[in-house]
Amino acid sequence: MQLGFLVDLRLCMGCKGCEIACKVENEVPLSTWRLRVKYVDVGSFPETRRTFTPLRCNHCANAPCERICPVSALHYIENGIVNIDKERCIGCAGCVMACPYGAIYIDPQTQTADKCTYCAHRIASSMMPSCVVACPVEANIFGDLDDPLSNISKYIQQHQGNVQVRKPEKGTDPHHFYVGGGNVQLNPLASFRGEGHNLFNKLTHLPLGGHH
Amino acid sequence: MVHEAIAATNAIVVLDVPLPGIVWGWIITMNMWAKSIGTGIIFITFFLLKKYPEETGFIRFPAVVVSIVFIHLFLFFTVIDLHQMFRFWHIFFYPHMTSAITIGAWMATGFVGLLLAMAYFIYMHPRKDKEMYDKLLGYTVILAIPVTLYTAGLMAQSTARELWQMPTESAQMILAALLAGSATMILLGGNRFNNRIKKDLGLILGLSAFSAFILYMAEYIFGGMKAEEVIATLEFIKGGEYTIMFWIGQVMAFIIPMVLVCLSIKKESYYLLKIAAVSALVGLWVAKHVWLVIPQLLNMS
Repeated sequence: MQLGFLVDLRLCMGCKGCEIACKVENEVPLSTWRLRVKYVDVGSFPETRRTFTPLRCNHCANAPCERICPVSALHYIENGIVNIDKERCIGCAGCVMACPYGAIYIDPQTQTADKCTYCAHRIASSMMPSCVVACPVEANIFGDLDDPLSNISKYIQQHQGNVQVRKPEKGTDPHHFYVGGGNVQLNPLASFRGEGHNLFNKLTHLPLGGHH
Repeated sequence: MVHEAIAATNAIVVLDVPLPGIVWGWIITMNMWAKSIGTGIIFITFFLLKKYPEETGFIRFPAVVVSIVFIHLFLFFTVIDLHQMFRFWHIFFYPHMTSAITIGAWMATGFVGLLLAMAYFIYMHPRKDKEMYDKLLGYTVILAIPVTLYTAGLMAQSTARELWQMPTESAQMILAALLAGSATMILLGGNRFNNRIKKDLGLILGLSAFSAFILYMAEYIFGGMKAEEVIATLEFIKGGEYTIMFWIGQVMAFIIPMVLVCLSIKKESYYLLKIAAVSALVGLWVAKHVWLVIPQLLNMS
């Protein structure tokens, strides 16, 4: 079994329901994310549109985080998920440095690394990941990539030529796919990014990711 | 995390937004800098004892003490950077051998053991056993190589950070060790070295600085031609917020030592060599810090 994710970006409407569901299910602290919906504004007024891209751990077959972890806190489980043992993690942040997708963070409460586990605890109880359940348009498709009859396998078959992964040049072999994505959605360097949040002024930043 | 105090209510509004931050900061810079001195002094001690056994015998004890101090500084900063520092022992009881961190921890432990043994034989042993010291020094030098290089391996395993490329970083680590080792030895030896030894130390310092500077400049000029991540990263030192710090590091660590070494050889001035050594040690910290930090400023997602 090889579990994987596919997001049909043509369906995603940016409701961020998946983001909230993930936060609630996994008690993800403020300022940290296991799943984040990135949005990018494209064009000039009035010809503008907003793209949405749910971003989470890619559960790579050749995961740099698993390789760099000195204590095997990040490890594969038999269904292909890259899981994390927070009791074993020493918080060296090597995985944060290694992940090309910025999917790993230091949990400010436990002071250990954390990331999306495809809701491994729910899967163990034969439930879908919380983000899949929360999605109102079924843009998140989850299943067994080794099973040709699974929804995700059929989706990949049906959309051949339009299925992408993030940063394929890194050789990580992600098990997370996107349909209908482009450079704007999948390349973090493709768009200008303003510093921080600019809805308010007089902003101060609190410490991120623990002590540092 | 971002917050703002609203004067009307004195409430704190917490905005749950992602902001990039530096995870490996000055503590890791201290780690690399102290390690460069700790292993570098061993390389230089080995060289001097082989080439000038009669004139440099007095450095056996101070050199091993300096190495022990700086390797423990390196270990101290390694441990305090861990978010769960009291789980450090997990590296030894749950080792994952594909990780450069694990390999480095094991190698550094062996290195420390050999250093302590060397210190014992040259200081506490009843016969002040120099032969045993020199024998152990051979093994210590061999182990100093992976201890120096493992950080380069760690940087290479950091797939997300394109700026840190393995062949370059391994060369930079060895050069940093030779630079720091020769600079420390120049300061350690005082005026007890003869002119030939001073000249040799100056040459090692100058050539290490020259080679490291060439590598930095090669990355600076050509690095961006292969990957867009590197272009974006180098923008932080090409007019970006780390430009001044980058050049302070380059000038102090490499350019000033190169110039002063040339002048000191020409004028046979040990005083200039000492200034070069201090400048190299300070500049090395700055240069390493900038190189460590800038890839972390890049957005990954």
